[in-house]
Amino acid sequence: MLRSKTIYKNILQCLCCSYKSIKTLIFSLIMLSLGAIPLLAQEKNIEVFPSAPYDRFIIYQALVLFWIGIIGLIVIIRMKLREIERIQDMGIDKEEKDIPFLD
Amino acid sequence: MSCQRLKNWIEDRYDLDGLRGFAKHKLIPVHRYEVLYYTGGLAMFLFIIQFITGMVLSFYYIPYFEQAHKSIIEIVTKLNMGWFFRSLHHWGAQLSIGVLFIHVFSTLLLKSYRKPRELLWITGFILLGISIFFGLSGYFLLWDERAFAAVRVATGGAGNLPVIGGFIKSFLRGGIDVTGETLTRFYAFHVSVLPILTLILIGIHLALVQYHGMSVPVSEEKNVKKYVPFFPNVLYKDFIIWLVALGVVVTLSVLMPPEIGKKADPLAAPPENIKPEWYFLFLFQTLKLFPGDLMGLNGEMIAIILISLGILFFFLIPFFDRKSARGERSPVFTWIGIIYTAYFIVMTIIGFLT
Repeated sequence: MLRSKTIYKNILQCLCCSYKSIKTLIFSLIMLSLGAIPLLAQEKNIEVFPSAPYDRFIIYQALVLFWIGIIGLIVIIRMKLREIERIQDMGIDKEEKDIPFLD
Repeated sequence: MSCQRLKNWIEDRYDLDGLRGFAKHKLIPVHRYEVLYYTGGLAMFLFIIQFITGMVLSFYYIPYFEQAHKSIIEIVTKLNMGWFFRSLHHWGAQLSIGVLFIHVFSTLLLKSYRKPRELLWITGFILLGISIFFGLSGYFLLWDERAFAAVRVATGGAGNLPVIGGFIKSFLRGGIDVTGETLTRFYAFHVSVLPILTLILIGIHLALVQYHGMSVPVSEEKNVKKYVPFFPNVLYKDFIIWLVALGVVVTLSVLMPPEIGKKADPLAAPPENIKPEWYFLFLFQTLKLFPGDLMGLNGEMIAIILISLGILFFFLIPFFDRKSARGERSPVFTWIGIIYTAYFIVMTIIGFLT
């Protein structure tokens, strides 16, 4: 009899505690949702860049290829320029005035 | 028609050899500061990017205050590569104005404005002014709250000028306040008036560069190592710089596309901590230095007058620097140039950080 009374008391205490914690939980949930209401009305940031991972991957890949193309072109122009400067330094870039035609 | 036939067709009608000969005979001096010669060509290249991307955007932009903001959102979110073209136009504008400032300040410090190149300086200076107005008018076309506030402040500031201020303000705004009328006006400036003026001035500027040749700083006149032909030596170097610039603009456009702000509301209060575009920061900081009331006079008006006088002196500097015109060294004007450059840089940095 005494044992069942103790168990009953414990259950009641537990329920009381959980009631208090549930009350706190519900209260905080309500407060949180109240605080979040203005966020619903807030305008979303406009995406100024494609958001899909595949699109992003393609764009970054294209950027890398673009830079490889640019570096390649720079190397070609640089090589061509060096060759021109070499010929100019040798002084053989100027045409002679009275050069005979071969045909 | 094959390539050779096309070439022959053109050569029959136009003197291409003469043009080639002209480009080969145009010589560029090589000295310590020759790298600054490339800033002019770079600015022109960036202008070309602006013209192309601007034309693409104008196909879709709606210059009406109720639809302007929405049309930009649609360009960015719905059009194929729309975000990229808008981003290119944005970053191209930032870089072209930056390069123009470098070009102008290097011309000032190397005294390339001296006789007989005064007109070159004047056309270049007007081109810088036009570019800044290009920037402001383009910024306003976004019709977002920041752009709206920036234009209200800028046109209000111009209104503080004595005598002509009121006229400039109402002419730019198209009324008493910034409204949809202002958007229409700024669109007209941005896509028709300013591009035509720019093309005319670039034409005159280039013709004058061809006529006078490249300027050599007084201090370097005796140190010129040699002269190289413009074609192909300098043109090839120009190509390299343009390619790098193109890479930089594209990279910035991909990695940092500009945001779109909230739609402008003419009746709403301006947003907090608002700042103008970076090229107006030095003016913004200067205005902050002046109190609202100075010896019983309007502080802002005094600030605007002083800034205008400073800019007018900068504009007319070739006519004040008589020593340089005679081909002598003029350290006073070198210091004036350094002060102007340092003031612009320091004030821009302070404005950016505060």
